[in-house]
Amino acid sequence: MTTTPVKIAHRRMTAMEWTRQLAWRHLVGILAVAFALFPLIWMASAAFDPLGLVGAQKLIPAHPGLGNFRRLFGNVDYPYAIWFRNSILIAGVNAILQLAIGASAAYALSRFRFRGRKTTLLSILIVQMFPQLLAAVALFLMMAKIGESIPFLGLGSPFALIAIFAGGALGINAWMLKGFYDTIPSEIDESAKVDGASHAQIFMKIILPLARPIFAVIGLLSFIGTMNEFLLTSVILGGNPHAITLAVGMQQFIDGKYDKNWGPFAAGSLIASIPVIIVFQFLQRFIVSGLTAGSTKG
Amino acid sequence: MASWSTKAPGLFVKIVFLGTLNAFALWAIPILLLHHTNLFAAYMAVSTLVLDYVFLSRKRIAAKYIAPGVVLLILFQVYPALYTGYIAFTNYSTGHILDKAQALDVMISNSYQQPENGGIYPMVVTTEVTTKTLTLILKNPDGTYSAGNSKGLTLLPTSAVTVDASGNVKSVQGFKLLSDAEVQARIDALQSLHVPVGKSARIDVADFSTAQMTAPTLKYDPTTDRVTDIATGTLYHPNNNGSMVSNAGDELEPGWSTNVGWRNFTVVFTDARYRGPLGLVLGWTFAFAILVVGSTFFMGLFLALVLNHPKLRHKKIYRSLLIVPYAMPSVLSILVWAGMFNQDLGVINRMFGVSIPWLFDPWLAKIAILIVQLWLGTPYMFLIATGAIQALPNDIVEAAEVDGASGFQVFSKIKLPLVLLAMAPLLIASFAYNFSNFGAIYLLTGGGPTIISSGGIAGHTDILISYTYKLAFAAGKGSNYGLASAVSFLNFILVASISAYSFKKTKTAENLN
Repeated sequence: MTTTPVKIAHRRMTAMEWTRQLAWRHLVGILAVAFALFPLIWMASAAFDPLGLVGAQKLIPAHPGLGNFRRLFGNVDYPYAIWFRNSILIAGVNAILQLAIGASAAYALSRFRFRGRKTTLLSILIVQMFPQLLAAVALFLMMAKIGESIPFLGLGSPFALIAIFAGGALGINAWMLKGFYDTIPSEIDESAKVDGASHAQIFMKIILPLARPIFAVIGLLSFIGTMNEFLLTSVILGGNPHAITLAVGMQQFIDGKYDKNWGPFAAGSLIASIPVIIVFQFLQRFIVSGLTAGSTKG
Repeated sequence: MASWSTKAPGLFVKIVFLGTLNAFALWAIPILLLHHTNLFAAYMAVSTLVLDYVFLSRKRIAAKYIAPGVVLLILFQVYPALYTGYIAFTNYSTGHILDKAQALDVMISNSYQQPENGGIYPMVVTTEVTTKTLTLILKNPDGTYSAGNSKGLTLLPTSAVTVDASGNVKSVQGFKLLSDAEVQARIDALQSLHVPVGKSARIDVADFSTAQMTAPTLKYDPTTDRVTDIATGTLYHPNNNGSMVSNAGDELEPGWSTNVGWRNFTVVFTDARYRGPLGLVLGWTFAFAILVVGSTFFMGLFLALVLNHPKLRHKKIYRSLLIVPYAMPSVLSILVWAGMFNQDLGVINRMFGVSIPWLFDPWLAKIAILIVQLWLGTPYMFLIATGAIQALPNDIVEAAEVDGASGFQVFSKIKLPLVLLAMAPLLIASFAYNFSNFGAIYLLTGGGPTIISSGGIAGHTDILISYTYKLAFAAGKGSNYGLASAVSFLNFILVASISAYSFKKTKTAENLN
């Protein structure tokens, strides 16, 4: 064990030491990175290869160009731009609802001691045991029934999907947020209360601003989660090609047509992936802390 | 603090929220009742009243924050769960969608047929002058004319009708002839106009100038609950599967949905078409979930250990690049993988110059799925494992090293158990997630290749949830919602009991420490 860590850190390693301790680590790291980036690189390469043939694709396209992007946006039968808009809208509205419902419920569960609090907490946990995914058939039949009366909440309507997702908001998010609120010292809101602040003001002006980082994480994860949701989205929206999201649309676009649509598909996937990858890079630190919050809280 | 004084914006939000909610409820409830959707109408009424009470009351502070979420939770999570349980005990499926009364209605109205001797009437469309009732003027076979509306048929005196040289009706006393444009405008009303004739026959509009008489060939008697074929006299009685059947075994279409008890559950375990495939699907569901959690955990932990060396440079770059699979929209990346695994066109076969049917061989398809999930799941495990390793208490590790423990011993006896303990809840959550990871299967292989003995429904890489999806929504093979819900329920019981058991286990482990 070293007693003078500062000096050690500055001492240059000998080549032998470097090879023994670190070279293989770099090798493992590079191999892992290669595996991780493999599909992304092929996707990018295919996107800029105007031939658009999955079977003839080279890693570096012989005549790179934007032909696939033009074909993607020019396709009337598969309206990529509309899917993209649908995805952003549905995922955006859903993220906001998830946060609004989860954040306010967590506030009550963390700050108030009311009758039925324990029951509520336990019920939320138990209900999560039966995820909505497993009820896809029931939700399909239910929304078909409701849609007979209220068409904008029926099959093929994005509002139906948003409503369904909102029903799941009082789940794991509320638990996670409650865990975070619990770490905010209650002395802060006690003193505000003494100053005459109402419960709503404490929530809006003290709790919410302090919890902003975790909102960013939960909001982002729920946004991405919705963009990626496939089963319920295709069951509820599948019948309406103008209401579907990118995930469902792109599957219909490429399913069984890899030979024909590979190039435009890759272009569309690239456009959809790059923003998320960039946002992830910026929020990396928060996301890691958000992910591990679940483990430390138990 | 001055900022605590104003209450106006909160009040405004409250008024807008409650106003919108009540307006929506007042608009929607009558419509729901009109469509016999009584349960949802009742739920909407009750929940609106509860929310009104909660938000207008000065007390109920906690409820103000929780109630909206609970209302949605009950409607879109609790109810569908219960409804799944309910459907699992019915024969709800293609051909058994309606309730009994609706099914009998459809049965009878589908049986209307034109009698063998004629039944075709030349016709003009009119409205009665005084009541404006839509009325058909029909020319009977004997040359007389009758006026028919939804109430019935009346014979007109011969003097009331004037015809031109070619025999077309020119005017009818007491009725106003409609022009072609006027007829066009009433096409919906005309199509739903049935002129009753005698006890059960009726006259319908066939086209713009003719009407036809039809009569039902089936008759339902509610007292005996039997359907009779009027021509042959054959009796049909209800069976226990929501269908009308004759003694000879002929079934009338459509059937209705009805409670069938435990049959959906017994079918899955006894019927050869489902038992064999279900066994395979169940086995692969477990194997898939366990292998995915295990392989991603060890790969993530391995990378975390390797790349967490204090002297290693560019750690940040490694991490940023390694999490890319986690950041990419997974639906798209799985579809990209499916393209890369393509037998003839895929880059993986071309890279090695082979022609391996990755997605069409039962075992290779499973391997392909596991490779993709390893790619997809490792970053998450890597991130968490890195966090867990960095949070390890240093003194224990140092103490072990002072005591002369080897690097491997430090890993296997100290680091691994501590990391496992910290990650256990997430590993269980990941197992539960993968147990129903629909996209991982459906997007890559579609569940295929098909298991022949399953009647083409189940595939070798199907897990329970994708099998459920195919039972319920498989195109062309008919939807069996009842059976699908039974399989869903099975899925739920398995995940719930496994997670409950393991959470209990890990809780005890925590308490022991």
